[in-house]
Amino acid sequence: MLFNILGVTCGYGASPVLQDASVQIHSRDFAGIVGPNGSGKSTLLRTISRVLQPLHGKVLLEEEDIYDIPASRLAKKMAVIPQEQGLNFPFTVRDVVMMGRIPHLKRFAKESLQDLEAVARAMELTDTDVLADRQVNELSGGEKQRVLLARALAQEPKILLLDEPTAYLDLNYQIEIMELLVRLRRDYGLTIVMVLHDINLASRYCDYLVVVKQGSIHAIGAPHQVITTNMIKEVYGCDVRVECSNSIERPYIVFNSEEILAAGKGRERWVHVVGGGGAGVLLFRNLLKSGWKVSTGVVNVGDSDWQEACRLGVSIIEAPPFCSVGVDEVRRNREMMKKAEFIIMAGIPFGTGNLRNLECVLEEAEKGNPVIVVDNIDIGDRDYTGGRAAELYASLLKSGVHIVKSEWEAIHIMEGDEAKWHPEVS
Amino acid sequence: MIHKRNIKQSILFAILLIILLASFVLGISIGAVSIPPSEVVKIIFSHIPGLDSYLTAGLLPEHETIIMTMRFPRVIIAALVGAGLALAGATFQGLFRNPMADPYVIGVSSGAALGAVCSILVQSLWDIPIRFGIPAFAFVFAVATIFLVYNLARVGGKVPVMTLLLSGIAVNSLLSALVSFCMFFSGNQLHKVVFWLLGGFSGRGWDYVYIFLPYGIVGSTVIFIYARELNAMLLGEEPAQHLGIEVEQVKRHLLIAAALLTGACVSVSGLIGFVGLVIPHIVRMLFGPDHRTLLPAVALIGAAFLLVADVLARVVIAPGELPVGIVTALVGGPFFIYLLRRQKNSMF
Repeated sequence: MLFNILGVTCGYGASPVLQDASVQIHSRDFAGIVGPNGSGKSTLLRTISRVLQPLHGKVLLEEEDIYDIPASRLAKKMAVIPQEQGLNFPFTVRDVVMMGRIPHLKRFAKESLQDLEAVARAMELTDTDVLADRQVNELSGGEKQRVLLARALAQEPKILLLDEPTAYLDLNYQIEIMELLVRLRRDYGLTIVMVLHDINLASRYCDYLVVVKQGSIHAIGAPHQVITTNMIKEVYGCDVRVECSNSIERPYIVFNSEEILAAGKGRERWVHVVGGGGAGVLLFRNLLKSGWKVSTGVVNVGDSDWQEACRLGVSIIEAPPFCSVGVDEVRRNREMMKKAEFIIMAGIPFGTGNLRNLECVLEEAEKGNPVIVVDNIDIGDRDYTGGRAAELYASLLKSGVHIVKSEWEAIHIMEGDEAKWHPEVS
Repeated sequence: MIHKRNIKQSILFAILLIILLASFVLGISIGAVSIPPSEVVKIIFSHIPGLDSYLTAGLLPEHETIIMTMRFPRVIIAALVGAGLALAGATFQGLFRNPMADPYVIGVSSGAALGAVCSILVQSLWDIPIRFGIPAFAFVFAVATIFLVYNLARVGGKVPVMTLLLSGIAVNSLLSALVSFCMFFSGNQLHKVVFWLLGGFSGRGWDYVYIFLPYGIVGSTVIFIYARELNAMLLGEEPAQHLGIEVEQVKRHLLIAAALLTGACVSVSGLIGFVGLVIPHIVRMLFGPDHRTLLPAVALIGAAFLLVADVLARVVIAPGELPVGIVTALVGGPFFIYLLRRQKNSMF
């Protein structure tokens, strides 16, 4: 273990900003600290970087209390890029990067060839070599940020601490800096700990996130574990959707549109959609717009219906990608169906994996629960079970369910009022 | 590129040295009795062991006396004070990252002034002559002021720059008020007090050089040692710490060094303004912000500047003598304004 932060309470003056925080950071980790303004995330970083002495608890770096390590030895292990850039003096870029060698130099010693090489390497990695003779006070915010990174790299540290390194940067530079940090971790085995404002950027690049809320650690985990609608609601107090189009491990948040939020108020009537393969998409949207509470299941994670359901905030009973629907999922799916006022069987293709969904719907239909079957595609064209699905489907159609030819018709039946219905094609 | 810069700086340093030596000779040769520069050089060299036998021929003994007992120590002390004030000013400006800082910013000067005024009053009131009363009192008061300000500014083991500046300003105004109070009751000593406060080198002999030297050497050595740290601290105290610098310790050492240096300057020469504020700025325009070149250059230019100012102080209303503090401000002020107008975009 590299850093062991043990029950640290820290603050400015009497009132603690950070309460009893414990985090472990391992070598070669890429850790992100996120949280709202004033939550204490920068304070946590400042504690780790030995700027702020904890009131209680301690920070161990390789088993050694960080306050027992002399500054010069610490600076050879750890470089810090602060939030304030402070490059207001007419030093040249090369001079500033050269300052990164201070911890390696003996007093009065002139910079050796080795120092010059380290500086050249740091400037090359950060593309600051073209700026070498420019004065730092005349650079743009993005250029300054790269100079600070170059200075940090010139220290040849094992650990890099960054406080909102992308705050001053344009979108392209944000990505560039983050990609550079990824490369540094890969090529030089650097450990990277950064405070980030942007949750999506944090999710995209960090191995795990430390979520700080009101001075204490709210959650620690991989992005897909901690970035949830609930977490954002609890920590930031705002409604967002969590989407996963690029990668399941790296979700991102999107702000909910006003329209869907408004429609969601006071929902009481519940409909359960048995979807999959994109057949449910149109139903989800239009049902939500008509004011229904919607659930769906069982769908596989990553399925296009699953994605849309995530995006819209539909409750999902999910099975792992490409897996058959399991016993547990069937049980939960059935519970959902029981609570729902209607069950809609979308025109989904059937394989051995999701045959159980069909079985469940049939059972519910036979019990007399209201089931609407969207029979828009011939069952023969979507039966991949060698006739087994077609057989069950035939029984389903005969069990006294509503049979409709389109999603719109299904909603007509549920609403019982055609005037309210405005179909949307999307 | 680095190479080219080094050559340019070496040339600048050589020019500075020549200017300094020239102002030395000028400072010694000009005065009530004018002595030609060639003779000045000869007399000085004649005091170097081994050369005396070749040079003593044809020298006037009274000139030798004037130079060796009066003018030589006087220019030495002027140069030392000029270098000391400029160095202390550069240090305070770097430490506080504030272009307005000068050697007097944390109240050392008013402490010294109060000491000097007390010494003058004590001596006249009770009619006890104290040998070197003024410099001794001034120095002790200056040092006491440093400790007062430093301890006032301390917050939980650290000395934040902002509280240091503020407590310095507070103590400064308190002590200035006390100085004014003493002046109000100083009666026939008022002229002496005012003359001392305005600063000058008249009548300063070798004794003053010896009083100055120990503190001057210690103070400036510490400052030179920390040149690299001063550079890093220009980027901010936290970044400096992340570069492996024990910021609080360095700050404490530099504060004490610069304050000792200032105290030594003030106690031998009075309150000479302007040098410590402006010389570092002028040198930064010439040499850039790197303290490793800035500090030696500041010392050289500070010394030369005060030497020339002292010469002017002696000749402007000859045979009378102006306080040198007036000259530094009168000459330096307009020059500084000119530089300021020329490059107003990057002052610091």
